[in-house]
Parts: sequence; structure tokens; C-alpha cells
Amino acid sequence: MNQNPEIIGTSPKRVDVREKVTGAARYGSDLKMEGMLYAKVKHAEYPHAKILSVKTGRAKKLKGVAAVATAADVPGNPAFGAIIIDNQPIAGDKVRYLGDAVAVVAAETEAIAEKAVSLIKVKYKELPGLFDPRDALKPDAPLIHEDGNLIVHHKTRRGDIEAGFAAADRVIERSYSVQRVDHAYIEPEVVVAYFEPDGTLVVKGSHQSIFNIRSAVSGVMGLPLSKVRIVQASLGGSFGGKDDVMSVLSCRAGILAQQTGRPVMLSNSREDSLIESYKRHPYFMDYKVGVKNDGTITAMEIKMVADGGAYASMTQFVTWRSVVHATGPYRVPHVKTDVYGVYTNNTYTGAFRGFGSPQITFAYESLMDEIAEELGMEPLEFRRINILHDNDITATGQILDHTVSVGQALDVTTSASGWEEKRARFPKENSGRIMKRGIGLACSYRGVALGAEGVDATGATVRIHSDGSVDVATGLVEMGQGLKTIFSQIVAAELGIPIDKIQYRPTDTSLIVDGGPTVASRSTIMGGSAVKKAAIGVRERLFQAVSEKLDVAPEDLIAADEKIMLKNDPSRSVAFLEAIALALETGLNLSCFGWHLSPPIWWDEEAGKGDAYFTYVYACQIAEVEVDPETGKVNVVEVWAAHDVGKAINPDTVRGQIYGGVATAIGYGLLEDVEMVDGVTKTMNMDEYLIPTAMDVGKINAIILENYDKYGPYGAKSIAEPTAELCAPAIANAVYHATGKRIRDLPLNLERIVLGHKLIKKKRRVR
Amino acid sequence: MIPFNLERAESLEQALEFLDRDGTEVKIIAGGTDLMVELREISPGEKGPGTVLDITPIDEIRGIKDDGSTITVGALTPHREISSSPIILQYAPLLASACSTVGAAQHRNIATIGGNVINGSPAADSVPALVALNAEAVFQSKSGERVSLLKDIYLKPYQTDIKDDEILTAVRFPRLPEGATSSYIKLGRRNALAISRMNVAVVLVIKDGEITEARISPGSTTPTPDRITTAEELLIGKEPSEELFRRAGQAVSEEMINRSGRRWSTPYKEPVIAALTARALGEAAGEGV
Ligand SMILES: Cc1cc2nc3c(=O)[nH]c(=O)nc-3n(C[C@H](O)[C@H](O)[C@H](O)COP(=O)(O)OP(=O)(O)OC[C@H]3O[C@@H](n4cnc5c(N)ncnc54)[C@H](O)[C@@H]3O)c2cc1C
Repeated sequence: MNQNPEIIGTSPKRVDVREKVTGAARYGSDLKMEGMLYAKVKHAEYPHAKILSVKTGRAKKLKGVAAVATAADVPGNPAFGAIIIDNQPIAGDKVRYLGDAVAVVAAETEAIAEKAVSLIKVKYKELPGLFDPRDALKPDAPLIHEDGNLIVHHKTRRGDIEAGFAAADRVIERSYSVQRVDHAYIEPEVVVAYFEPDGTLVVKGSHQSIFNIRSAVSGVMGLPLSKVRIVQASLGGSFGGKDDVMSVLSCRAGILAQQTGRPVMLSNSREDSLIESYKRHPYFMDYKVGVKNDGTITAMEIKMVADGGAYASMTQFVTWRSVVHATGPYRVPHVKTDVYGVYTNNTYTGAFRGFGSPQITFAYESLMDEIAEELGMEPLEFRRINILHDNDITATGQILDHTVSVGQALDVTTSASGWEEKRARFPKENSGRIMKRGIGLACSYRGVALGAEGVDATGATVRIHSDGSVDVATGLVEMGQGLKTIFSQIVAAELGIPIDKIQYRPTDTSLIVDGGPTVASRSTIMGGSAVKKAAIGVRERLFQAVSEKLDVAPEDLIAADEKIMLKNDPSRSVAFLEAIALALETGLNLSCFGWHLSPPIWWDEEAGKGDAYFTYVYACQIAEVEVDPETGKVNVVEVWAAHDVGKAINPDTVRGQIYGGVATAIGYGLLEDVEMVDGVTKTMNMDEYLIPTAMDVGKINAIILENYDKYGPYGAKSIAEPTAELCAPAIANAVYHATGKRIRDLPLNLERIVLGHKLIKKKRRVR
Repeated sequence: MIPFNLERAESLEQALEFLDRDGTEVKIIAGGTDLMVELREISPGEKGPGTVLDITPIDEIRGIKDDGSTITVGALTPHREISSSPIILQYAPLLASACSTVGAAQHRNIATIGGNVINGSPAADSVPALVALNAEAVFQSKSGERVSLLKDIYLKPYQTDIKDDEILTAVRFPRLPEGATSSYIKLGRRNALAISRMNVAVVLVIKDGEITEARISPGSTTPTPDRITTAEELLIGKEPSEELFRRAGQAVSEEMINRSGRRWSTPYKEPVIAALTARALGEAAGEGV
């Protein structure tokens, strides 16, 4: 039972706001230690080459150099990886992209380390490089890894695809592509590694999923998990981006700390980060859709190729999310989807807010508008005919047994934006003006949490101290999304105490059990449930002590207003502090661990079917744009974004997620592109890798929908990622409405709007 | 980044003295918004300046003066001051508008017009406006003053004819003629903090419905900044019209191709500079065109 409901659904001040706005918060690069060395990386000089020799003699002799390590110095496994063990923190036999390290240096200053790196001489035998995943799938393509260039092939099968097309009046085929983008967090990657006297390796830094990093470090360092401590510093943004790359940095710094016996800081420059850190997967997507003249979709056949780059990283999981959701939130009786994740010699790709959805949403939502146009229908009308409803069956054969709110999201956004009126009015007004107005929409459904791609469980500890203060620890991390505040609200609600009584403990692998990664928009629904269980568990012990004192049944008690009281007679109560004393006197343990395991779900990889996720969220975004067809400039004037979150535990945080996700998607839609030519990154800093400024984002109207979900704490589901998957296609559809130009490749930059294709600069900028 | 000595000049005389003594390895720093980026990109082992000379204390070369016919803008004047100066807003509004588009507020407060001019980026925002104003660059060295038409100091992108012992002290230009109108249009990829993809500055004098003077100065278009006289000549003696301005825009893109040849970016730039020019002329000509 909900004890102190008032705080759920409110937006108290962020629990960590003060330290952040005053500048007191300590980020990775603030963690200077006495005797600390600085590390630098000797990067690969070819995107694909055999390493013949690495000469480190001159570097080692340089004054101020403490250690130079190569692959030969790796104490444990040469590589780590989530499923495929292929990512080498220091490359041994071969380099596979320009972000690979062939050696790492630790020195007294960064300048000496940099100088030492320039003295390392490496001999290579250059190998033919693969830079387009479609080339990498050709039978005669050179091999990047021994087991072949295919990382994974996932499929979804439903019904009878031939029968589906036979039932169609028309078959429409379209191809789309999306680019490689960077997380562009404000803080590039940084770690400090050192050994405790007991032999424990501690790595502090800008970590996201601390337990993933711990297992990578443990393997590569040849240390037991219990002797590796990963501690998260205040994080300057992550968006999915500080996992594998942080494992790489942690291993490199760990090896140097071991060699020197001193703390080692490894801090990436922006250029290092753009070259080295993993990106969002570029996709090539081919859709073939059967429709009847009345607008009903009969079949979809989809083929996608994802560029995984040099290492597998999260490619299996990212592409699995794509294969599940590829048809969009529509009823499609006959489905055949194939997604291929492929190695290339580009920068590897992995987790990025959205995780395999921004790509496909761009394709299927552009496509919905294109089909509507072919049928002579309005985009809204066509979607309404096909969208999913309660108890419908998804492409993977799952029955949706919760409130399916995509229709509701369409209704509220279209009415809030004045959709019908603007769709009719803008084309009439456009002929007389330079800047053409347009309005477009996109909607989606999204499986919550990890899904059937793995076991999904997480834990939390809540402790009540003798003075009435309380602390909470979880293995999930704050990265600006507001997790500490949400979890503190849950504890406050369950214990009936003010939120300022609650302290959030550091995120440290030595403090709590492995609760999985902080990904997949799972923290509130999974972590929140674990926190709630822990808080209830410790509360029950207080109730036990109080029930004896008041001589009532524990079930008749509630905790509220810093008291434990009788539900039906609040005048009979014991103060929270007194209840603690009573419990401690009787020897009760006022620390409780909560563990939450997701409801059962399944996936049959062979059959391409399953109940992929235990619940789904639904959303719709509308973008109003103005386009200058002569220069190609697109301005996003206003966005309406409706997201069903189940229950908004903290509405301001939900809105914050929507604003951030929309801004990210505007960058994806209009500006951002990590350009690579033959494996060489050309966008080397933020002067060339352009993300939107506040002046480019337009007004965002965040609309929160709440349809209670039985699996979430207080009915809450999730919000983080769906916010980032919709605006790019909404913009593309709006640009079409404004200009009649259909652009099927992202980003919609100046050149694409004017010419229909992008310009390729011939000049190379090699590192 | 490489290490360097930092020297500070308290007066113009001191600065010129210093440059005279040590001619080759010194880099002048004003706002530093170009220079610091440049220095950061020099890796150890590569050649860079041994000394950076900070001239920001030199008040004599900062500020805006108007003697009734000529306006002089000290090299150290930051963009923010220019874009809000009543003198500039009245007699050279296109320069105010150009300077108001540089970077973001943080840059405009510290970055100087002198730095913008000497850095020599083809995308520099103030330069096309200065060229349209027929501005001169004023250099000073121990041996005296040198004055050059601003457009003539550019040898190629990022290179001017400034000598090792010279400082740019000011840019100066005549007030716009009576009745002149002007416009500056910048096209960036973003609405703030964006380098010009292309830009254009124009000045028009229209008397009795007839164009009597026209200046067209596009940026990121020709290898060095210049007025496009072939386009200007088209306009003289004509009645302003949308059609006429389109033809002038066309002439600018033809001249761009004449001077730069067809490059990887030409398919985009060709129609766009024509459109921007036509638009700027329309804006300058005002209502009714
Ligand atoms: C993030 C960012 C955004 C930017 N956006 C824009 C933009 O939108 N538009 C634009 O035009 N520019 C832009 N710039 C470039 C830069 O801000 C401008 O060119 C600025 O005017 C340079 O002035 P400064 O005083 O900072 O020059 P500095 O960096 O101090 O100097 C630049 C060069 O000029 C030389 N120099 C400076 N003053 C003198 C002098 N008096 N005599 C002789 N030599 C001198 C220096 O030696 C150096 O070579 C941007 C820069 C950054 C970092």
C-alpha cells in the first residue's frame, strides 16, 4: 500500500542539484591524486592492418616516462565483450579501426606522455579495409575478425509473407539510411586507476554501467571480480555512451597502474572521444509493404544492415530491438524482417539513447507518410486505420495486455498542435513566402527495459539509521536523468518521511550486488521496484516493533508524516524516531535489500517470435518546421511530444527527458553526422560535429500521458529513450509537407534539402 | 598544444618595439578565439610560435571614432561593441549586423574585429561587410604606418600581407553615402554559434527609382574577399526589381565559378549564393521590390 502518496507525482528539487550548480560536484577529471601519472594512447595508424612490430625503446627512455605498455603487458584476457569477446584495450596482432591502441604510456605530465607517444614506432602490414557494411557481407570480402564479418542476423516472422502480398492491392518499396552519430556528452571519457594495499584495483571515472565495466576489467586484468572496484564520479552526460569505451579506458589505466604502482589518469580529448568512442549504428533499411486500397496494411518485408564497426559491442542487442519493433506500432498480419549487424573498419557502434529505434522509426514513419500519399490519404487517417489497440498482436506475435495508447497519443498531439487546420492551411500560404511551413508527425511503440534479450533483475538497499536518517544504494547510476531523486522520492513515500532525510550512497561496485546496466530506460521501472521493495521491507520491521507497542496488527499501520500510525485512527501513533528506537532495542535489522526480477518473457531466435517485452510505452511527436528551399535551412518552430509513462513519479523529470530527447533527435534529424571517409573520422571536434544550440530547438510542448501499468512502481513505466526516437522522422515528414521534397537519408542538412544528396569533401584530415 | 612564452605589451610603442626586435616567431593575441584554437592543434614536435604577444592592454587601438566622414574602428574593438555602437548602427548598419552574428555572446564580448580581419577565414563575418564599405586596413610598424584597401591585404585563405613587424591598428571606412541602404545576410547551419556557410553584404543607393550605386561583397565565395563588379554593373541605372536582383545573384555565382573553378561544393554554392545575393539586394531595396 502506498504510504505517503503526496510525494509521488510531484517534482521536488533534485537531491544532487546543489553540488552541481555550485560547482562542488567532482567529475572524473577532478579526481587528481598524489603521485598520479598521466596516460596517453598511441593509436592505430591504419584502419585495418597487421601489427608487425611496436618499438617502444625511445619512449621508455624519455625522462619522466614511468611505463609504456603494449599488448604483451596485458595480464589477463586480451579482449572483453558482452557476447563476442573481441574488443582489445591494447591491440596485439591487428588493428581494426583508427581508435585502436597499439601502446599506452604513463608519464609525469600529459605533455611528456604525448611526446613519448610520438616516439613509439609501429610497423604495419596494411590490409584492405571495409567501410560499408554491405561490402563486408560480400562473399569475397576480407575478414575483419576470424569468424567472419557477420556479427549477428536476427529475424522476425509472422503469418505468411507471400499471402500477405497477394492480399494487397499495391506493393510499395522504399529505402532509407541513417548516419553515424556521437553522444556528444559535454565531458569526454576519463578514469583514474590505482591499487589499494590489499591488491584491489580501483577505477574511478565517468562510468555509466559500473558492473559491465567491472567484468571487462576483471577479465583483462586477470583479477577476481571481488578485487575490482568501479566507482562512478559525477557524470557529465552519457546517453548510453560511457560503457564499452569506459571499459577500454579502465583497462588501459589499470595496466599502467599495475606496472608503475602509482595512480594513473587517462583522460580523452574531444578528438580522442570522437575517434575512439563507439557511436550510434548507421543503418541501411529496405522496406516492402503491401496495402489494400482501403488503407489496411497486409504485409511488411524488411531488410536492414547495421554498421557495427570494428567490434561487436552491443550490436546483437541493438539490432534485436530493431527486429522486434521494425514494423512500428501497426497491425501487420504478415511480417518478414531480417536485420544484419556487420563488422567494418569504421569506429565501432553500440549503445546510444534509443538503442536501435531512432534508425527504424525514421524509416517506418517516413514510410507511413509515403504510403498515405500513394493512397491519396492524409497521414493521420492512414495511421488511424492501422495502429495497434488493446489486445492486438504485435509483429512478434505478442498480445498487448495493457493499455495501448498510441491512438491516444495521436489524438492529444494532433489536437494540441492544431494539426488538421495547419495541414490544410500551410500549403496554401506557402506559395507566397520564402520560408515554407510544414507540419509532420511520427509515432512509436517501445518495449520497456531489457526485454527477452537477457535476464532483467536489479537490487537496492535501504538503511534506516538510529538518528532517523536514511540511505539508499543501488547499482544503477545517476547520469543527469534524475534517478537519485526518483529513488529518494520512492523511499520517502514508503517510509513517510521528508525527502531531505534521505542520502543517496555512492555508486560503487563494492557497495552493492550487480544489478545490471543503467540502460534500456529501465531504472525507474526495475530499479524503482527494487527500491520500493527494500523500503517496504525495512518499514515492515518498524511496523513489527510498533505493532507490539500499540498492540495492533502490523497490517493496520501506515507510515506518514514521520510517524507510524494506525490506519483507521491516526491519533494512535509512534514517532518515526521512536519506532526506530523500538526496533533497534528488540534487535531488528533496519537495513533491507530489495531484489526485483522482471515478469517472464521469451524469445525464440530461430522462429523469430516471442513475448519480447513485459510492457510497452507509446508516443507521438509532431514537428512544425519552416524550410528555406533555396538555402536548405530548416528551422524547427515547435514540437508537441506526448509520451505515455504509466505514471509520472516526478513530472519535471519526465518533461526534462522529453526536452532533451527532442533536442537530441533534432540534431539527428538536421545536423549531426560523424563523417568517416575510408575509416578516417573527418568531424574531429565540435566545430565540425554540430549539435543543436538552444536557438535551434524551438518550443517544445511536453505532454505526459498516464495509463497505469501493473508492472511498474505506482504504475510507472519509462521515458528516457522513446523521447529521442521520434522527432527526426516528424521533421522529415514536415519538410515534405512544406516543400514536397522527400528525403530518405539523414541528416536533412543544407545540401540534402537543396540537392537531395550530401556533398562529400575530398580533402582528408588524418589524425 | 605546445609550450610558448607569453609577453604582454602595455602600449603600442612597446608592442612595435617587441615585434621589431623579434620578428619571426611572435604571434599576436587579441581575443584569442582563433589563435588559441590554432595553437591547440599544434602537436609536440611540430613548429609553432615561440612567443605569444598579448596586445589587449593597448587602449589606443580600441574603440570607434567618427570624424564626420570617416569612421575608424580600432583593431581591438570587440564585435559586441561594434554591433551595438550608435555610430555603426547609423552609418554602417551592415557591419553592426555582421558583427552581431559572430559566434555566441561569449565570443562577441571578447573576439575582436582585428582578429577577424587578420585571421583571414573566407567565412569571417565582418570582412564582407568591411569590403562593401570600401574599408581600409591601417598597419603600424616601427618604421611607420601602412594603409591598404582591406580587400587587397588577402593573399589566399587564412593569409594576409601583414609583415612580421606590423600590427593592425584599425580598419576605417567612409560613412555610407546619404540615402544608401544596405543588408548583410549570413547562412549558417545553426541559428547561433555557426560559422557562415556563405554570407553576403550589399549596399545600394537608389535615386528617383533608379540604382545609382551598388556594392556586392559575398563571403565564402571567392578565394579572397572582393566586390563582384560584374554583378554590380548589371544594376547601375536600372530600376530595382526581383528579376534584376536574381540576375545580379546569377552574376555573382558565375564570377565565383570563374575565380574558383568547379569544386566539390559548387553544386550547392552556385544556386545558394545567387539566392542570398538576390535576397540581400531585395532587403536593401526595401518594400515594394
Ligand atoms: C566557437 C567559435 C565560434 C566562432 N564563430 C565565428 C563566427 O560566427 N564568425 C566569425 O567571423 N568568426 C567566428 N569565430 C572566429 C573568431 O572568433 C573571430 O575570427 C574573431 O573575430 C577573432 O578575433 P580574436 O580577437 O579572438 O583574434 P585572435 O584569436 O586573438 O587572433 C586571430 C589572428 O589575428 C592575429 N591578430 C589579432 N589581432 C591582431 C592585430 N591587431 N594585429 C595583427 N594581428 C592580429 C593573431 O595573431 C591571429 O593570427 C569563432 C571562433 C570560435 C572559437
